[in-house]
Amino acid sequence: MINLSLSNKYISADARHYIELLQVLVSRNLKVRYRGSFLGVYWSLLNPLMMTSLYTAIFGVTFAKYYDDSVINYILAALTGLIVISFFSASTTQALTSVVGNGALLNKIRLPVSVFPVSMIMANIFQFLIGAFPLLSIVTIVKSHSLINVVAILLPFIALIMFCVGVGFFVSALYVFFRDLPYFYELVIFVIGISSPIFYPAAIVPQAVKPFLIVNPLSPIIESIRQITLSGNLPDMMLIANALLSGMLFTGFGWLYFHRSRSQFMDLL
Amino acid sequence: MTEEAIRLAQVCLWRRTQEEFSYDLKKTVLSVLEGKYRQPAKKLVLDKIDLVVEKGEKIGIIGSNGAGKSTLLKVISGILQPTTGTVRVRGKIAPLIELGAGFDSEISVVDNILLYGVLLGFSISEMKERIHSILDFAELEDYQFVPVKGLSSGMVARLGFAIATDIQPDILILDEVLSVGDESFRNKCQKRIDKFWDSHVTILVVSHSMEFIKQSCHTAIWLTKGNINLAGNSENVVKSYLDSVTQE
Repeated sequence: MINLSLSNKYISADARHYIELLQVLVSRNLKVRYRGSFLGVYWSLLNPLMMTSLYTAIFGVTFAKYYDDSVINYILAALTGLIVISFFSASTTQALTSVVGNGALLNKIRLPVSVFPVSMIMANIFQFLIGAFPLLSIVTIVKSHSLINVVAILLPFIALIMFCVGVGFFVSALYVFFRDLPYFYELVIFVIGISSPIFYPAAIVPQAVKPFLIVNPLSPIIESIRQITLSGNLPDMMLIANALLSGMLFTGFGWLYFHRSRSQFMDLL
Repeated sequence: MTEEAIRLAQVCLWRRTQEEFSYDLKKTVLSVLEGKYRQPAKKLVLDKIDLVVEKGEKIGIIGSNGAGKSTLLKVISGILQPTTGTVRVRGKIAPLIELGAGFDSEISVVDNILLYGVLLGFSISEMKERIHSILDFAELEDYQFVPVKGLSSGMVARLGFAIATDIQPDILILDEVLSVGDESFRNKCQKRIDKFWDSHVTILVVSHSMEFIKQSCHTAIWLTKGNINLAGNSENVVKSYLDSVTQE
């Protein structure tokens, strides 16, 4: 209790209000989403699990030779990739509409606009931590017998969060100006999804096309998570650093765009 | 002893006109390609507004539609940033405009009290302490855990009013006078507003009811096209405003 009041003294009233806003908005999101559904937060795992079984049923046998002749390895590779992709697609799609969706509110009460996209991403982080993370941890323990790897999963996940926050800021601001953005964004997500080596091995992609796959910002994140969970080796710090760096870059860029266009929001909401 | 609550110095506000704005990525890209893209037009909504409000003053803002009354309130509440000029506000502002905008109809009444309270700038612990008195005032104790979509519209309005006015703010902003719920609840609201009116709360109110402005505000501000046309004793300002309207 003493600690709490001390730390409260050091952060400004604005920062405290921001944190409390996040708290109520995130809990509202989760409550609305899962009210009365018996699986609760575990619904968010259903999508990657179903997609994994679908891909495995279709491609599993054919592609197994690229995964040490093991269908299990293929399943795990597809699952890790799908968890990343579905986190990215859900959190940024929800962030996209968050500023415009709260336009009426922003016109009545003075609020820090950025809490809306951030709260959407935070709700997804919460879902990840109680849904997908335990699943990944079990896989990691089985594969690597190392707790270090379990903890290390969080590092590329932080990179993923930073990437999603950046993209979330960018698209939520852009949507204020262009209301047909969701149609284009659906296409963007599809392209990013298909150009990440999720359900196919990177080895089958023709040499000429490969450079385009490397440009995909989700690639280093997926690669790093797979290395940590599936390889059985200690975490590769180079891969992690790579992912974190590109994550930071995206957060910086997204925040900059959001911040600079923010003054024009109120005229269009 | 008077204390300054609000000071606006040379406040100008330019806003984009929404009508001609294309909210369309496809169209915008096409128009850029065709070289037809134009910078969006901007309109001067507030023009060099100077205003000083002392603590405890009750001020009525009048003027025709589109004169910038609500915009002025938004600038004072910090919702809109002035293009040039400065706004200084001392104290906590409570906006009381169209209640219920912050509610989520899917979650329970108690959750909404926390949500709406934090949106209005109160802390979670503060709101938790006040849940009981808010429910009591709104007469909704039996509905604590019912989702808001299960309430009637009158109940929702009652809840909004109860949350927004449970704590006495330093500055109260009213856009049009409230008429909430049934007769008995309206009396209750009126009493609470009257209590604010008699206390040291600074009140800014936009209204089209000249009688109300004359009776309840000592000062009135008459806006035309984003300018302060006249400010001063409310009786005089209302009189010249009414004269100018009848002359047209």
